[in-house]
Amino acid sequence: MISRAALGIVMIVVMLVSGTVTFIFLGSRTSKIADVPEKPTAATPRAQALRIPGTLYLSQNGAIYSLTAGRFHALTPEAGWTQPSLYPDQSRLLVVRRYHNYSDLYTMSRFGVVQKRLTNNVAPPRSFDTGANHWVFYPRFGSDGRIYLSYDEPKAGYAVVFSIWSMSPTGNLTQGKLWTNADDYTGGDVEALPLRGNGFIYTKYSYGPNARLTGQLYHITTPWNRGRAGSGWGTALTTPGEDCRSAQLSPNGKQVAMICSYQTQLSYLVLASWNGHTLGPRVKVVRNQLVAQPTWAPDGSGIAYLAPSSGSGPFQLWFLPSAGYAPQPSPTPNYGPIVTPSPIQPTQPVQITTNNGFDATSPMAWAH
Amino acid sequence: MAGGLAYFLPAAELAFESTGQVLSAPSSSPTDLLFSPTPSQSSQPTPPSGAFTVLLLGSDDDSKFHSEHVLTQSMILVRVVPSTKQVTMLSIPRDLYVHLSTGGYGKIMDAYSYGGPGAAVATVAQNFGVKINDYIWIGLLGLVKLIDAIGGVDVVTSHPVLDDYYPADVYGGWPYDYERVAVLAGPQHMSGIQAMQYVRSRHGDLQSDFGRSQRQQQVLTAIRLKAKQLSPEDLPTIAAALGKEMKTSISISEVAALLPLAGSFDDPSQIRQLFLLPPYTHGCGCPQTYVNPNWGLILPYVHQTFP
Repeated sequence: MISRAALGIVMIVVMLVSGTVTFIFLGSRTSKIADVPEKPTAATPRAQALRIPGTLYLSQNGAIYSLTAGRFHALTPEAGWTQPSLYPDQSRLLVVRRYHNYSDLYTMSRFGVVQKRLTNNVAPPRSFDTGANHWVFYPRFGSDGRIYLSYDEPKAGYAVVFSIWSMSPTGNLTQGKLWTNADDYTGGDVEALPLRGNGFIYTKYSYGPNARLTGQLYHITTPWNRGRAGSGWGTALTTPGEDCRSAQLSPNGKQVAMICSYQTQLSYLVLASWNGHTLGPRVKVVRNQLVAQPTWAPDGSGIAYLAPSSGSGPFQLWFLPSAGYAPQPSPTPNYGPIVTPSPIQPTQPVQITTNNGFDATSPMAWAH
Repeated sequence: MAGGLAYFLPAAELAFESTGQVLSAPSSSPTDLLFSPTPSQSSQPTPPSGAFTVLLLGSDDDSKFHSEHVLTQSMILVRVVPSTKQVTMLSIPRDLYVHLSTGGYGKIMDAYSYGGPGAAVATVAQNFGVKINDYIWIGLLGLVKLIDAIGGVDVVTSHPVLDDYYPADVYGGWPYDYERVAVLAGPQHMSGIQAMQYVRSRHGDLQSDFGRSQRQQQVLTAIRLKAKQLSPEDLPTIAAALGKEMKTSISISEVAALLPLAGSFDDPSQIRQLFLLPPYTHGCGCPQTYVNPNWGLILPYVHQTFP
């Protein structure tokens, strides 16, 4: 015969155990959507399933990482570092460091050693005007040896927009050259893509015919001449309705990869041929993901980009092999039976990382 | 049983404190009788299978304001039709000059500060002639916490948002301070703070509050997309994060019932976004920055979607 006390103790133990198990079970059924992404260097599994050629530089949470031979390496601590791009000889990096109220441009070795600060955008000491600070973003070297970047000057009062400037890597921005005439209250002009001896392509934000702000690619070959009407814009390459941005030129210079959103909350990876003056027909090569920052492999083997794993979530690194977008060679004529060419089978994008969260506003740089 | 109770305790607390709040509309003026029934009369619990209309209210609730008398800088009327999987969002300009349910005329965002959510709902219902089933009010910090609790949102920001004089009033010690904001353009994963900066900044936008309304709808769409990944077991975490930063007339059981509904809306093209830009409204050119309604155009436009 079990005493009442013993039975009570057993019941309490059973309640505690079942309660704890229930609590843990319910906790295990959460969606995990708020889990913090891992650092690339700690990610499991490591990104060794696909070895991409050369070295890819990208940013996560204010730190620059390199991906080479299937392994990530942290180049900097998490301290506002973003938007790496390469020197023309690929010996060094241009990197933006973002602070609370301003950002500056630095040069850095390919191993993450900071070498020089190229801009000084913090407000003067004892200035109480937050507007006395400046932003600089999207640096890229041009074939003329100058750095093309987006800078928030000229501005006046609340009208703060980016314009495209160029500066010497041995000079400073006060001696820089203003290239574009940004529209007020639009966000302005960003993401200069210098072309070999032929100006640059950039993204201009302006109000479209439907009174909504939209991105448009433009090609400009001469700096803004304030005395000449119509100067400072260049030639439109895309329409307002396409809402395109983030242009990147293929290694052979004949194709442009870009992101087009068509004024929706979708983003497509779009390719178009480029003849130096105009873009050809658009081809959507990735249409079921939220694609950002397309970057051509230097050997032409494919395009890396950032996109969430599923419909929504932190951005992961993806790679679209060239077979996924390049035209297939036509079959060699022979005297055998007539064979109907099989339709092109697009190669699916390969997901390189699964649990990182890369900065989708930071262009990537890809060295040989 | 005990484990389940302990697990859902934060959600239960939120249910007691913030959800299922009864709408108490202020006493009607004689002109109110010309309009549709007040929300308090029509707040029957609506099953998710039927169409329903929710008024979303967002407020600056930092220390500059008394917690019970805040303005609703964001007012979005949402119509959900589960049978056709259609969602329509109508942004109401905060400066719209209307008859307030509490009496007199003023900006529509003032209604909440005079009479709480009941007055805000009644003012919208009376002026627009629509039936509103429920409301959700959320404070600035609540939006930040909500988005962080669901792990951030993915947004295609339509343009760079630059603001040299953005109010640094949420986390700073001095609520009248300023900071700079630069939200870059394009697809990106946003934290709560980043999303708040994107939807709240208006100095760099030619359309000011109208432009801000478009950005608010983009973030709402992103939150809805993220809600598809939530499970009922996530509710305690979200409830604990929100604390007193949210008030709603929807009960916690209805919230749980709505989660699978959110997951069934797959087609982004089924989301309609409506804005009351000119000619539906026009500025008054007066120092009070009122936006005057053109009811002759607004009402037929709104009634196409909102009964």
